[in-house]
Amino acid sequence: MDNGDQALIRLQGVTKVFVTDEVETHALSGIQLQIQKGEYLSIAGPSGCGKSTLLAILGLLDTPTDGTYTLNGRPVSGLKLSERARIRNREIGFIFQAFNLIGDLTVYENVELPLTYRGMPSAERKRRVQESLERVGMSHRMKHYPSQLSGGQQQRVAVARALAGDPLILLADEPTGNLDSANGEAVMNLLKDLHRNGATICMVTHDPRYARFADRTIKLFDGRIVEESVESAVTN
Amino acid sequence: MRSLLGDMRYGFRLLRKRPAFSLIAVLALALGIGANTAIFSVVDAVLLRPLPYADSGRLVALWERSPQLEDGSVAYLNFLDWKAQSRVFESLAARQGANFNLTGQEEPERLNGANVSAEFFPLLGVQPLLGRVFRADEDRAGAKKVAVISYGLWQRRFHGDEGILGRAIDLDGAPFTVIGVLPAKFRDPAYAERVDVYAAIGRDADRLQNRGNHPGIYVVGRLKPGETLAQARAEMDLIAQRLERQYPATNSGRRVAVQLLQDRLVRDLRTALLVVLAAVGFVLLIGCANVANLLLARAAERQPEIALRAALGAGRWQLFRQLLAESLVLALAGGACGLLLGWWGMRGLLAVAPEDLPRFSEAAMNLRVLGFTLGLSLATGLVFGSVPAWQSAWGSLHDVLKESGRRVSGDLRRNRIRGLLVVGEVALSLVLLIGAGLMLRSFARVLAASPGFRAERVLTLQIDLPGTKYQKPDQWIQFFQQVLGRTRNLPGVLSAATILPVPVGGFGWQTGMRIEGREYPTPHDSDLTDIAYVTPDYFQTMGIPLRRGRVFTEQDREGALPVAVIDEKLARTYFPDADPMGKRLAIGGKNWQIVGVVGHVKNYGVDQESRVETYLPFYQSPRPAMSLVVRTTMDPAQLAGPIRGEVRQVDPNQAVSDVRTMERLVADSVAPKRISALLLGIFAAIAVLLAAVGLYGVISYTVAQRTREIGIRMALGAGGGDVLAMVVKQALALGGLGMAIGLGGAALLTRAMKGLLFGISAVDPLTFAAVPAALALVVLAACYLPARRATRIDPVTALRYE
Repeated sequence: MDNGDQALIRLQGVTKVFVTDEVETHALSGIQLQIQKGEYLSIAGPSGCGKSTLLAILGLLDTPTDGTYTLNGRPVSGLKLSERARIRNREIGFIFQAFNLIGDLTVYENVELPLTYRGMPSAERKRRVQESLERVGMSHRMKHYPSQLSGGQQQRVAVARALAGDPLILLADEPTGNLDSANGEAVMNLLKDLHRNGATICMVTHDPRYARFADRTIKLFDGRIVEESVESAVTN
Repeated sequence: MRSLLGDMRYGFRLLRKRPAFSLIAVLALALGIGANTAIFSVVDAVLLRPLPYADSGRLVALWERSPQLEDGSVAYLNFLDWKAQSRVFESLAARQGANFNLTGQEEPERLNGANVSAEFFPLLGVQPLLGRVFRADEDRAGAKKVAVISYGLWQRRFHGDEGILGRAIDLDGAPFTVIGVLPAKFRDPAYAERVDVYAAIGRDADRLQNRGNHPGIYVVGRLKPGETLAQARAEMDLIAQRLERQYPATNSGRRVAVQLLQDRLVRDLRTALLVVLAAVGFVLLIGCANVANLLLARAAERQPEIALRAALGAGRWQLFRQLLAESLVLALAGGACGLLLGWWGMRGLLAVAPEDLPRFSEAAMNLRVLGFTLGLSLATGLVFGSVPAWQSAWGSLHDVLKESGRRVSGDLRRNRIRGLLVVGEVALSLVLLIGAGLMLRSFARVLAASPGFRAERVLTLQIDLPGTKYQKPDQWIQFFQQVLGRTRNLPGVLSAATILPVPVGGFGWQTGMRIEGREYPTPHDSDLTDIAYVTPDYFQTMGIPLRRGRVFTEQDREGALPVAVIDEKLARTYFPDADPMGKRLAIGGKNWQIVGVVGHVKNYGVDQESRVETYLPFYQSPRPAMSLVVRTTMDPAQLAGPIRGEVRQVDPNQAVSDVRTMERLVADSVAPKRISALLLGIFAAIAVLLAAVGLYGVISYTVAQRTREIGIRMALGAGGGDVLAMVVKQALALGGLGMAIGLGGAALLTRAMKGLLFGISAVDPLTFAAVPAALALVVLAACYLPARRATRIDPVTALRYE
């Protein structure tokens, strides 16, 4: 797939090397990857193959040791910390395996959190939070705390939080990893619905059942893309 | 008991394993316990320990009071009547401060002494080391002159010679036979000064027959067993009324004040000491809160160990006891270090305290202080150890054993307690800081206040002419004129004069005066004025401004019109709408015409209210004891030797005493305020330091605990500024709540300091505004490092953090 002009994300020769005690570990080596607007990409591979490192780089949580990263036509590898934070806030939505909701905040406040960093007016924040929670079917639990919700519900709230900022792309790191199969299935259906409505999604998973929900799957092994496949249909 | 010791041994082992934790905890406790030990050693000596006399709880002080004068001395004849008429006292004794010139051997020396009645030593239960004390027949007019001397004088001047008994020594030029030497430990009940020689007051009874004369006599009494202070007051009131009816001219309006001797001695010191004791109590509480915080943090780390012990069958009480035993080990280590700090602090305190603070010098690390420190250490161990121990032993062990339960309600509870402890620390620190701020502002006002004269480069020294050698007023005038003439000729001397009594010298003279043209209810009524006798150059030498008329001249002598100079306070008080010039004052049976008005001088210290004052010319009312005041162009202390030399040129046997600069006198007069301000300042600084460390610890711990959350926030787009603001907000919330509570507490507690302040209110708005602002800066500084650390958290690492 070489449709570079419409690519939302373009990685060229991205390498990530960790140095500990004078030992170099190559987590990623020469990654070439493009993600189109509206695409649903799944990244698969065994533990330690570099999936999460790749996702951290895509989410601007980490920087590549070498190579270039262009997001929406803009090179982002060398940006200042504050600029990276701004992009994370406005253009990227995260969904984590461990949900990563903040226990001291209510559901409403958790979803509202990224919007507060934008300095958005309170009325606008309220509208967006309500909308997002309605989209994931959690608006009736706004005043609850995360500890009062089931795992599946917590992950739906996490999805709502990722959606609230209307990001260019959703990055999901093993979103079903901490869920039972029923709840896992429900979350995957939710992501699929979002994709149908135009969301760009990049998901890391090691579960082949869920990888099939994506339009395209790449497989990583020892920090390299070793396989790429395109799904023709998704079984629900 | 054995298992408790075992728990303590284990606790000691843990302390050794965590040296940084142990050091910080022990230091925090040592500062608190040390400060308390030092101050308690003084409180014990001054307020708690009985006076060093037999059955001292029955000793009382008696003095005369009148509507004009709360604290007046006793007329000798009144004392004799009290003694004859009272029934509640086993005995009453008179004591009059006196000075004696010891001559006839080596260098002449002016000795602090006292004239006492024969009952004095038996009443105090004092047995002489050598010889005997006064007999009743020696305490009468015309009796042979006998003296009892102190152990110190016996050693210093007579080299401990036991043959001193029966020997005559020259006191004020007259031979006094030494009949006894007092034990080394004897302390005079006036306490303010070292007393070296006692004479019988009755030998001068002929000169004490004027009931209107109050010559500095104070009375000590011993209550009969079972009699109370209230009964003594009631009886003395009846006696005073009887004497008032009998002697209306002298005793009109006069009553008797009776107070326990110990309370009388410590007077103003009680409040100051209790304020400082409260301050060090606060420091200790802050130290405890810090250690409790450290233990709570450690308890969180040790939850798995505690849970494992519980799983292996340890009971809740066993766990509680073990954790508490560890706290006690910490507290005892803190107590041991605190004892050292306390000893050092006590020595420092005694070094800066003025010598005349009653009973200060008796402060010591005795068994009672050691017991206090031990008790305090155990109590602090219980205070700071029980909450974390309870939390750990009664927490949800199931949650701890489940991995998923790492951040459950136990942590939240612990965090809340930690937050509350810091709020408490900040509140206590603010109260202390405001207290110290008030004292410092008050002291600054004292320093800025003018005593009414220019104290710089003025030397003062006291000369008491012995009555045996200098009997006539002409001799006194001649002596002082010669000394003044010689002194003025010394290089470096600008001017010299004499005065009695020297201002801010610790005492003043008051006398009744009747003002011409003013109406009095009875012929016995009068107004009260401070009185001073001065030579003409006095006002110029001291830099006291002339407001109206003139000061004294060399022509204001015996035979000329008796003249007086009044101060502006007297002019304002008694001549608010009239011109005082030319008016006459009746003082001591003579009429004095007012010829001048000068500035007001604060005779009792710049922070003390002083009365109106009248100056009379020395040449018209000469005295045998005067203070020289000498204004110089150089360091005045350097002139002490040359002036002594000039005095010796006039009379080789004449002693000179109390050689001090006026600046020193002024500084000594405000010493209690200086010490209170210094101590509160030091303790407030320690408190703020401890609170800052506590806040730093809590914020650091919270940042570490919230690493994952901060990672999430950063992943969601929080920038460094957002994270910084979040941490600072938390610190300010804790600090702000603490300060709000502290402000309320300070507004209540500083009322107790009202009597210690000068020139500012106990709720001084500037102090109450500036101190919280300064503390807010400390709060910001304390959270700066953890906040910066939070901004540097790597979100990728943080999101993996468990």
